[in-house]
Amino acid sequence: MRNCAKSSVRDEEATNSEEAPATAPPVLSVRAVDKRFGGVHALKSVSLDILPGEIHALVGENGAGKSTLMRVLTGAHPPDSGSVLIDGAEIRLASPQDAFARGIAMVWQDTRLAMTLDVAWNISLCHEPGGRVLVDRAAMLETAQRALARIGSGADPLALPSELSRAQMQQVEIARALSRSTRVLILDEPTSALTPAETEGLFQVLAELRAAGTAIVFISHRIPEVQAIADRVTVMKDGVITGTLSAQEATEARIVSMMVGREMGLDFPPRATAPGDVILQVSGLRTAHARDIAFEVRAGEIVGFGGIEGSGQQQTARALFGLGIRGGEVRLNGHPVPLSTPAQAIAAGMIYVPADRQREGLFPIHSIRENAALPNVGGWTRRGLIDAGREAREVAAQMQGLQVKAPGPETLVGALSGGNQQKVVFARWFIGASDVYILDEPTQGVDVETKMELYGLIRRLAEGGAAVVVVSSDLPELIGLTDRILVFSAGRIAADLRSAGATEEGVMRHAVGAAKGDGDGVRDRHASGPDGTAQGRAAVRRRPLLQRYLPGLLLLALVVLIAFAASLAAPYFLTPRNFASMGGQIAPLAIAALGQMSTILLGGIDLSVGPTISLVTAIASYLLSPESGVPITFGVLACLCAGIAVGALNAALTTVLRIPDLVATLATFSVVQGIALIVRPAPGGRVSGEFADAVTMRLGMVPVVFVVAVVLYVVAETLLLRGRLGARFYATGGNVASARAAGIATDRLRAGAYLFSGLMAAVAGLIIAARIGSGDPQAGTTFTLSTVTAVVVGGTLVFGGVGTAVGTMLGAILIILMQNVLNQLYVSAYWQYVWTGALTLVAVGFHGLRTPERRAAMRAAAGRLVARQRAPIRRPGPPHDEDTPQAKQECHR
Amino acid sequence: MSAAGSLEALGRALRALGAVWIAVTLLYIVSGLVSPSMFQLGQVVNILQVAAFLGVVALGQVIVILTGGIDLSQAGTITLTNIVATSVMMGQPENIAAALLICLALAVAVGLLNGILVVVIGITPLVTTLGMNSILFGAALVYTGGAPRGEAAEAFEVIGTGRFFGIPAPTLIWLALAAALFVLTRRTVFGRWLYATGANPVAARLMGVPVERMTVAAFVLSGVMAAIGGLLLTAYVGSPSLGIGNQFLLTSVAAVVVGGAALTGGLGGILPTVGGAIFITELNSFTNIVQVTTGTQFVLQGAIIILSVIAYRRLSGTGR
Repeated sequence: MRNCAKSSVRDEEATNSEEAPATAPPVLSVRAVDKRFGGVHALKSVSLDILPGEIHALVGENGAGKSTLMRVLTGAHPPDSGSVLIDGAEIRLASPQDAFARGIAMVWQDTRLAMTLDVAWNISLCHEPGGRVLVDRAAMLETAQRALARIGSGADPLALPSELSRAQMQQVEIARALSRSTRVLILDEPTSALTPAETEGLFQVLAELRAAGTAIVFISHRIPEVQAIADRVTVMKDGVITGTLSAQEATEARIVSMMVGREMGLDFPPRATAPGDVILQVSGLRTAHARDIAFEVRAGEIVGFGGIEGSGQQQTARALFGLGIRGGEVRLNGHPVPLSTPAQAIAAGMIYVPADRQREGLFPIHSIRENAALPNVGGWTRRGLIDAGREAREVAAQMQGLQVKAPGPETLVGALSGGNQQKVVFARWFIGASDVYILDEPTQGVDVETKMELYGLIRRLAEGGAAVVVVSSDLPELIGLTDRILVFSAGRIAADLRSAGATEEGVMRHAVGAAKGDGDGVRDRHASGPDGTAQGRAAVRRRPLLQRYLPGLLLLALVVLIAFAASLAAPYFLTPRNFASMGGQIAPLAIAALGQMSTILLGGIDLSVGPTISLVTAIASYLLSPESGVPITFGVLACLCAGIAVGALNAALTTVLRIPDLVATLATFSVVQGIALIVRPAPGGRVSGEFADAVTMRLGMVPVVFVVAVVLYVVAETLLLRGRLGARFYATGGNVASARAAGIATDRLRAGAYLFSGLMAAVAGLIIAARIGSGDPQAGTTFTLSTVTAVVVGGTLVFGGVGTAVGTMLGAILIILMQNVLNQLYVSAYWQYVWTGALTLVAVGFHGLRTPERRAAMRAAAGRLVARQRAPIRRPGPPHDEDTPQAKQECHR
Repeated sequence: MSAAGSLEALGRALRALGAVWIAVTLLYIVSGLVSPSMFQLGQVVNILQVAAFLGVVALGQVIVILTGGIDLSQAGTITLTNIVATSVMMGQPENIAAALLICLALAVAVGLLNGILVVVIGITPLVTTLGMNSILFGAALVYTGGAPRGEAAEAFEVIGTGRFFGIPAPTLIWLALAAALFVLTRRTVFGRWLYATGANPVAARLMGVPVERMTVAAFVLSGVMAAIGGLLLTAYVGSPSLGIGNQFLLTSVAAVVVGGAALTGGLGGILPTVGGAIFITELNSFTNIVQVTTGTQFVLQGAIIILSVIAYRRLSGTGR
């Protein structure tokens, strides 16, 4: 199966244009492109030419339209009007893969690598050298080595992306882009996670690519870097290109003046006249990205956190709420407060409104009332019950005060516009009173009218006596809304400005200023942090095959150990007869487990395996009975078709109807079990001796079915290790989105896995029918769990993306071996259920906790579970107290 | 508002009320038309009696599903409860208290273990409870050696077979538990946290909700409900049976899904789950009336699960 989009349009005509004169015709252009998202006009008649052999920088503030333009150029968004041209010819880009096939490659800020495939495979995914089924691994490694060497990368082609530093991951993406004749390379904020030395290395690579005639588009906030590398600089603002400068013209002052000065027609509320006492006092605060942070916020004051994105302002804000704080002291009204969890912060009187509303702020499937009330209900209880009347009153008052536009309090939040959603978040924290409000990008994705309302609300919070911190990447907002601005640069506070006299240029200058310097702070984190461990781990895995088969080897050792112990304890154990019998038992389990594994590798599960086996034995007991008169071949085919039909049902439910795997296969479980019971309500019937003999035949002492199972596993392991199919399984199971980005047809793969699982269950069912010689509607009952057990014991992760066929085979062997040994030791067969279940849990736990990250997460979760922590109960703030925001609102109206 | 929009609004309203009650009523009328004896009060009482066992178990299942999990170990808990209760009682009334205590303690332990495996070790709820179910069923087999002995005390059987004012005792207990859990989920802080945990655990944690504890608590509640269901069933049947819990593995999930809860968490309710349990029981009794086999019941049950998921998705207009 070749799942990849054909994309070798330009493979032959490699770019060998040695001379790339500045006057060469543009390789890629956009003409008068418009793009709207709902009410937002993201691109307004944008035209741009990208020339071969130039580095073209694209700068602009957040929301200026750079990303949208890039998405148009890479085919992710079709333009509403206007055109995209390659070599002067108008084209329609259907998808990023289409753009890639035409020589336009994008390196995203967040990596799109398949984390479960090694570097070499990532570089050639969907273009692997080799035959139709298997890849030429040597050629693949050579390609990867060449591509990496070309850009001077030291990344190990055999390493997994997770073992690389951020810079190396980026190099792999660039190498991947260059391994196909890429003519335009677009890099989105490529230096945001790099150290100065790594940035220097990247620039050298870009310069060499430029010399070879590749056009490079370089998106950045960092003006000094842009000046260092770009031949031309295009500046965007509010969806419009404000101009394109040559390298000589591109002075910092000029770029900044073209970026800023947006006319928004915004009216900001008046600033604070006389701030009160210091409420929030921070000293020596440290996070992963920021250090030595010290500042104070007074009652009634709004302090803005500005700077280039990722300079530490957001991390500082989150740290104040107990998220990712690494040290330092926070005092509230003079008293030091412990801040290690959000619950503690809320209890201390701090509120954080996250920037990512959907992920961190809202419960979209719940009503406005439930969303707004959640953190406050603790204060509204009477004898343990929430006072519904009070809840309704408080929420209604806030909805009115904040002018939330919705049919009523029971409207689902997911149905509201972005602005109204943000108002609901505000309403939540306007109920009750807190001392400190930390608002992270409070007006992001909100229409202008609502923005104005939110500004008024934020000012009212401050007027109510609270200390307010606003993190904003929107300069006019930062200056207009706040009283003071702390400008962050490279993880430190670079300036403390009074907003009243501040200009956008002034703030920008402080923000970019320090980035020019030695660049410690934010950008040194890779030198000390993840990079160190990454290299440490990379040293361990010089042998990727050993790494791959380590769970299998451990399991093998366990199998040998148990076999050895058994041979001492039970004399019959070592006899060939016993081994032959075990082989016959292993075969059906192993074969069914192989099918189960194909679904688990993709992050699914097939609960219908057991009933399918039962059903097949039931069908076989009719069609393959001596009296049936049906040819054996036909009977066998019919049984296999039954399995495939179950698989098709699962495939349709999961991929066409998009029902989650668990529910879908649970329903199929019931349906198939039912059909099995209809076909054969009680054990009975007979399977013809001819068929049974054929299945239970032995070659010498070795059962034929065991040989069949081994052959199946050898094929499966080869496909997984060296086949095109295996890489698609691993990539899709690891991350569906990045697999799709690479051009893998993930739905077809998933459907195929369920069909395969059904087929394998049918084969197992036939073997069992032959063994028991009759049909039994319960014959497969234990197989649903035992196949899952074999798979997970063999080292396959239940979340998908990692696993080997060899491991699953050993898992199946272990299960049968234990059954056999316990049998020989006269241990009741009933124990089988207990240890199968326990083995599953131990195996999943053991494999799941192999990475240090998971172990750390485990410790954190355990800590939160047992921590002696009182649930936060927000101060209810009597509704008509003069100090509360509500009171102010009442006055206001 | 477009037709699709108003359909969505209608769907949301139906989901809040429990659209399942419409299905319950329709199925009742159809059964009655096929077999007029269904319209007799005695039949209604009978259905409510039988539905009580599934109903209690499903109350626990819905709590876990609200947090975004699933509990397939309820079947094992029910079987083990039945075995342990009868073997401890041995028909003697003075052993009732001990039997109840042991069973409930066992259920709490199972729930705690499930919760900790899910929250701390990070095993998916499905695999955790599938494994746990096997362990519990195996424990019942090992404990009895495959031949269960013992019986419920007569005094205990009253809660399974007795009636108060004509209503079966299990039904009363079920409805009382449903009322209590309704108040717990809808009127207390705990309930709000439960829904929040399932709808968006990240946001819930940022709002100070102890997400890990809510998950563990949900599994404990589910285990306890399964044990109570198992005890009621034991009181009704009076004797031990190793297969007694098996049917609940699927039916408790089916009742919850028919009640409109989303397996992704945060959507669903106690009252619709009561309706779901009645619907599944009605369906079984209907299949008895039209005299189809157990096999057909299984097929129908699977089909009903799929149809419910699709129907509720259509009604609410949201992907889930």
